[in-house]
Amino acid sequence: MELLRMEHIHKSFFGVKVLDDVSLTVKAGEIHALLGENGAGKSTLMNILSGVYTRDEGTVTFDGKELPNGSISASEGAGIAFVHQELNIFNDLEVYENLFLGKEITGFGGKLDKKAMIREAEQLFAEMGVPLQPRALAGDLVTGAKQVLEIAKALHSRAKLIILDEPTTALSTSEIEHFFGLIRSLKEKGTAFIFISHKMPEIFEIADEYTVLRNARFISTGKIADVTPEQITRDMVGETFANEDVYEKRELGDVVLKADNLSGQGFSDVSFECRKGEILGFTGLQGAGCSEVLQTIFGALPSGGGTLTVHGSRGAQGNIHLAMKEGIGMIPANRKENSVIPDMTLLENTYLSRHTIDTKNPSINKKNEQVRFEGFKKTLNIKANKSDDPIVSLSGGNQQKVILARWLDTDAQILLMDNPTQGIDVGAKEEIYRLILKLAESGKTIIVNTLEIPELKKIADRCIVFYHGNIVADLPHSEIEENKVMMYSTGALK
Amino acid sequence: MSEKLKKFWSGYNFIVVFLIIFIAYIIINGKATSWTTIKNIFLHSAILGTIAIGQGLIVLTGDIDLSVGSSFVLAGGFAIMFFNKVNSIFLLLICALVLGAAFGFLNGLMVGKFKMPSFIVTLATMLIYRSISQYVMNTMGWTRYSVDAQLSRYRALFMFGNGSFLTISLLAIVWLAVAIFMIYMTNSTKYGKRIYALGSNAKGALLAGVNVVRTKISVYVICGLTVGLATFLKIAKDTSFDPATSGKNYELYSIAAVVIGGISMSGGKGKILGIIFGTMSFTLIDKIITALGMNALLNDTVKGVILLAAVGLQMIQKRSRD
Repeated sequence: MELLRMEHIHKSFFGVKVLDDVSLTVKAGEIHALLGENGAGKSTLMNILSGVYTRDEGTVTFDGKELPNGSISASEGAGIAFVHQELNIFNDLEVYENLFLGKEITGFGGKLDKKAMIREAEQLFAEMGVPLQPRALAGDLVTGAKQVLEIAKALHSRAKLIILDEPTTALSTSEIEHFFGLIRSLKEKGTAFIFISHKMPEIFEIADEYTVLRNARFISTGKIADVTPEQITRDMVGETFANEDVYEKRELGDVVLKADNLSGQGFSDVSFECRKGEILGFTGLQGAGCSEVLQTIFGALPSGGGTLTVHGSRGAQGNIHLAMKEGIGMIPANRKENSVIPDMTLLENTYLSRHTIDTKNPSINKKNEQVRFEGFKKTLNIKANKSDDPIVSLSGGNQQKVILARWLDTDAQILLMDNPTQGIDVGAKEEIYRLILKLAESGKTIIVNTLEIPELKKIADRCIVFYHGNIVADLPHSEIEENKVMMYSTGALK
Repeated sequence: MSEKLKKFWSGYNFIVVFLIIFIAYIIINGKATSWTTIKNIFLHSAILGTIAIGQGLIVLTGDIDLSVGSSFVLAGGFAIMFFNKVNSIFLLLICALVLGAAFGFLNGLMVGKFKMPSFIVTLATMLIYRSISQYVMNTMGWTRYSVDAQLSRYRALFMFGNGSFLTISLLAIVWLAVAIFMIYMTNSTKYGKRIYALGSNAKGALLAGVNVVRTKISVYVICGLTVGLATFLKIAKDTSFDPATSGKNYELYSIAAVVIGGISMSGGKGKILGIIFGTMSFTLIDKIITALGMNALLNDTVKGVILLAAVGLQMIQKRSRD
């Protein structure tokens, strides 16, 4: 029985098509995998379904009735629940309170009928066959149990279709098994699921049908049983477009950074080497551990074992200051939160780091600093008026260049860049790539972590792929292909 | 031109606030205004002003110190007892500074190292420090801590506390010297920039290599030093401390001076120079109330209203920028 039919959905943001004639059909009791790369349009489509966004064109029919456009309450009322990747659980409330939030059972004078709510919660958990305790504090639950609680919330609101957005990212292997068991049993009872995931083994384990989106367009749909991971990956990635090659092979120097069985938060047993002048790419799905490895090398996260060798000697771990003295710099992900000092000028943002390791002279010679800054402004092509302007007056790309200048100012020889082109427009991205190549040519060693594989194809000498906190592939430049990297990072290839 | 004016307004509106209050004072005071009344503004701002500078540094990092008034009294009592033993002005100064720094260090340790919320930590030490001071005085059977007038160095101490240079009170000169040093420190030293960076974006500062824990602790120690210095100034001026009344509400008045001085309570924004004007604005309000012959009990009402007005002005400016 057909449950959901989305037909010819169009959506634009500020004149940019984010969904171009996309259709999706889901039957009752079906687990439907929705696939596509970041930015393919999956989230937008799901947000239209759940009423968060309005659709520009097209129809959505659910359970035989057409859904009104852009109404969250209508979608919820019809029986559509969206379990977001960031779980929506209130840690300070008890499990049953989370379940009944906003739909509490009340008695005389608005007094909460706790007994009735707890009884109903117990009943629901028994029906689901899950060991949740209504009176437990939600904050004490492990992530897997919170995920189950989200499902319970959806069922409690009589959802017929539950959208799961990368539900397994934060779960351990055994939690995933339990979670899948629950989904299968609900499916038997007729609940349908839309399952958004990048992990091929999971999709092939749990899903019945699939739909692939690419670049805002519908690409393919069908039964999972009829396809292979390779075929799906090809659909997701499309023709690997010829890269306007800025990459040129360079002579590399000695090994300057070496990790042996490094472990830490979210990764374990990571070993690799990096040579002077090399651009090493890190990639993997969100939560695969790439970013954590970089932060651990920089000392921003505690190390859980293993050794680091920097310039031939044992590197310090868990101490940013010592890492900086060893010549390591890091451009963290999420510029706004982790690197830009918003109340300070370009100049102050630039010299801040150098001054934490160069403390010979306590006072600042502003003229000297300005001369240094002008140098960086020129090499990095920072488009700014005066060095005394606040950094927030610059565009994202130029802010990022100032942060890059900060680390060049410390004379760091090893630069760790965590998603350096995040939130930067296309033109500025190109510029950042060129700068990275230029820096490598001048002998800097650079590790770039990015989710965007075409980025790596443009700049990286080598690419290390992470899956579930481990290195699964170490590919030379010639083998960096979107298809292949995608297969490794989704676990389709091991 | 209007662009420049806007920049001046956003950076220096504390001067405008001060001038408005100052002109109001001159008008109300009328013929009674003289050089003496004006230089008294400096004198009566010196002690609170010194503490407010320390408070300002802490507020710049995004934290707060509610214990300054109590540390002031506790250090004051002990320093007086110490002076009565050693009879040395220099050692009195050292003692006051060391005590102030130690009390500040305790706060800093808990806030910086153990990551406890500064509001609660300093609220607790505010209660503790003043209570100890009162208890010690009580067990000694005194009604206040007083410098022994029989001591040979008593006169010299009193002369310093009430002396002047070129008609300007020595206390005010010490205050302004501290202010000039702190202005230099915040504007032109590496350490000063770390304070701003920490207050503006603590995570960003950490990942840029700033030692966040050490910087936080040090700022509390510096604030303690300004409290210690203020203690010394107060002993020299009045030769006594009364734990029940001395430094009462100084934590709140110092925060008010900092806020009127244009320093953002969320940290990272503002100038030490503003605190000078903020403190003087605050002192002037006292004087206006006296000049008007108003009931002194209304003092805090007026101060509160002025504080709200000053913050209101800053909000308007902030909104026009956003």
